[in-house]
Order: sequence, then structure tokens, then C-alpha cells
Amino acid sequence: MEGVSYQRFPKIKIRTVRDDFMKFELRETDASIANALRRVMIAEVPTIAIDLVEIEVNSSVLNDEFIAHRLGLIPLTSERAMAMRFSRDCDACDGDGQCEYCSVEFHLRAKCINDQTLDVTSKDLYSSDHTVVPVDFPDSSTGLDNADNRGIIIVKLRRGQELGLRAIARKGIGKDHAKWSPAATVTFMYEPEIYINEELMETLTLEEKKEFVESSPTKVFDINANTQQLTSILLLNAPTLYPVGSAEFHSVFLQIVDSNQICSVEIFLSELMACENSSFYNVQLSHFNANFVVHFAPFQVYVYDAEAYTYDDEVLKKAEAMGKPGLVEIHAKEDSFIFTVETTGAIKASQLFLNAIEVLKQKLDAVRLSADTVEADEQFGELGAHMRGG
Amino acid sequence: MEHGSFQDESQATFSLTDEDHTLANSLRYILNQDPRVTFCGYSIPHPSDARVNIRVQTTGDPARDVLKDSCQDLMLVCQHVRSTVDQAVMEFKSKQGVELMKIK
Repeated sequence: MEGVSYQRFPKIKIRTVRDDFMKFELRETDASIANALRRVMIAEVPTIAIDLVEIEVNSSVLNDEFIAHRLGLIPLTSERAMAMRFSRDCDACDGDGQCEYCSVEFHLRAKCINDQTLDVTSKDLYSSDHTVVPVDFPDSSTGLDNADNRGIIIVKLRRGQELGLRAIARKGIGKDHAKWSPAATVTFMYEPEIYINEELMETLTLEEKKEFVESSPTKVFDINANTQQLTSILLLNAPTLYPVGSAEFHSVFLQIVDSNQICSVEIFLSELMACENSSFYNVQLSHFNANFVVHFAPFQVYVYDAEAYTYDDEVLKKAEAMGKPGLVEIHAKEDSFIFTVETTGAIKASQLFLNAIEVLKQKLDAVRLSADTVEADEQFGELGAHMRGG
Repeated sequence: MEHGSFQDESQATFSLTDEDHTLANSLRYILNQDPRVTFCGYSIPHPSDARVNIRVQTTGDPARDVLKDSCQDLMLVCQHVRSTVDQAVMEFKSKQGVELMKIK
């Protein structure tokens, strides 16, 4: 029987895309899929990094293996990485893993001849393949040094010191060594849903509202100084409340029912002056001989940036401390995630996500095909024995 | 490799080498969506060993087939995500292009 697929297919909406940064929303999927994508992006998308260094001459202050370690950590542009073979799988080279199909060769030669300190940087690394070069960071943030972008400093040389080496870069994954990880940071968060209990919020004074808004370490809420919310009008000589609701327009219409008379009155809000604290105003309407008390609740609290919420419960604790639990309710939507992907420059951010999906598909293929083989039980001694009931 | 399905094909434990939570957790989620599955879980016997055991019990279908179908489903999900991302990036870039033109 063919299994019926009950899969929900996820939806994606992209917020920002730059060369090394991408922010997008992933909806209608489970945390395990989002986490699988995150893990693959960090640890299993292949890149190219220097893996073997032959030092010809080194009279600098750093020792050979120190410099080799630093060279390995330099990010190299790795668009070729997905198509390349791992050195261990390459059959074209004679076993040393240095042929042109599975590796890229670099060389560096620097000698300091004058009195000024010479900075040996990643720009001094010359590659045999022009598509695999140390990542160039255009320093657009500081206007001062834009002509002087020197690259990553490897070592500094004094007069007379020399450095000469040959390096081989190979394909690898972050699982083996962090130098091969293309991701600077990949995070995802649950999208929050924030409900403000308007009725409870009205009972707060402006001071309390300000305190509440400021109790959050990140700016989640803000106070809107413009909206005036007309909450109720109390007819004094007949104790009946005529709730009007929130109003942002210039006048309010009221229906007043009094001793079998029904009369509509228009009250202009401009005639009433609103002030900071929610106050009561008397409005004399001579032709009807009634006193009204108008209750304004200005300065509404609204959600400024729901995603700035970091799931610390500071606002909830503050609400309880003020004696108003349930003032806001915050839930995390369980199937909606906001991803932030930042790369080292080795691969573009959007390309990283696509490569991650490719790698995940390859892993699934491997599982599917290997499910056909049933290997000998003695390799898995204890599990096999347990399953057999031994 | 599959264990324990000699007598009863509908339940088995699959031991995968060189795998970790990345694949196992997402496969477990997809397996749980399949109505033929009565039980499914995974464990990692030792963190230093790159090995994952996935246990699948079904309502009669061979566990092996159910696992393969789930791999297929997960691949379809990945395919869908990929095409959605491609489309979304194209839309975003064209929207950006239009906005830049408006500024000019």
C-alpha cells in the first residue's frame, strides 16, 4: 500500500538578503526540520580551506604550526566546493591528494626589507585557481581606510624576517574542523504572538504604562502619544453608562434615553481638552440639562516590535508585580520560525541555504539506498544480541 | 542496517552509521506524520560513536518500506523548500530593483 503523505509543505518569506546575511521566515513546519537545516548549514555544507602547509622558510616570531593554523582559518571563496571531490575520494591523483581536481594550491612569499613593520595578510596569498581566493571584505563601514583594505593579517615581520610557504586547500565539512564551516552564525527563533489585554491596560496610569514599557530589556512595546481612546461617557443624573468605544475622530454621537425621550447629541472632542492623566470632564449640555462625565484613556500601549522579544519573561513578571497578571499574553507560534543566516564570506548566504538543502537530500538518499543492505549482526554485537533476545 | 525484523517485518530498528540528530530528529518527525506508524523514536547509544538507532513499528506494512517512504517525503519537503527559496529570492531581488528605480 502506498503511504499517503500527510506532509505540510513549508512556506518561506524572505525579509533581507545581502551577500553575507539573510533573514527569512519559515512557516508551517516543525522545529526538527528547522533544526536539521540549521545543523546542516553550520556543520555539513562543504567549503574549501587550507589543509596542508609546507613551510620553506620562516624567521618570524610565530612558529610554523601557529602560522599553519592561522592559514587554515582564512575563509576562501568556495563556490566550487559542492562540485569538487573530497581528496580522500579522488582517484585522479596518486594518493597524496594534491591533484588539480581535488585541491587548490597557494603560495606566499614575504620578506621585510625596510624598517617599517611588514604585515603579511591574506591578500599576499596567491592562488592557482582564480575562483578560490581568500575572501575580500570590502570595508564599507569605515570611510577612512577604504583604499587600504589590507585583508586578514597572518603575521607581522620585522626587518630581515622572512616567510615562504606553499599551501594546499581541500574540500571539507565543519564537522571535521571548524575552519570548514561556512556559517558565522545561524539562528532561528519562534515567532511570538503578543496580545495586550486592553481592558486591564486602561486601568493603568501613564506612569505605570511607562514603567511597564520600560521593564522589557528590548523594545517590544511603545506608547502611542497620539491616539486618544474614548472609553466611556457617564451620564450623571441617570446612572447609566453609555460605552462608546475607542474613537479617533473629531466628534462622538450619543443616544440619550431619558424619561421616554430619545435624543441624539453630538459632542465635539475638540471642546474637551485631553490631558495626561485619564481624567473626567464635565460637559454641560444646556438644551438637554444633563451632565456628562467623559473618560479618556490617552496614551495607548501598542506592540512596537514583536520580534524583539527574547522570551525572557520580564514584562510578565512586571505585570504581576504591578498586581495585574494577564496584562499581556505572549505565546510562541510553534510552527513559525525566523531564521538569521550570516556567513563568513566563503559562500553567499542564499547559496548556503540552498546548499544545505542539497546536502540534506544527499544524506536522505544515502539512508534510502543503504536501507537495502542488511549487514552482519556481529558488527553490532550488543544491539543484535538484544534484538534476538539474548 | 536493520535489526529485529526477521520474525515480524512490521517492526524494526535501523542502525545508521555516520549520522546524528540532524537527520534522525527530522526523520522521526516525518515518520510520526505517517498514519501507518504506531511507534517511532530514535536514540544515540553513545555521543562519541557516530551512530543512530531509529525504531519503527507499523500497523502491518514492512518497516523498511515505511522508512523509505518517509525519506522520500522528507526529500519532497526539501525540494519544495528549495524551489520556494529560489522563487522568494527572485521576487525579493526584483522588488529591490523596482525600489531602486523609484528612488532614481
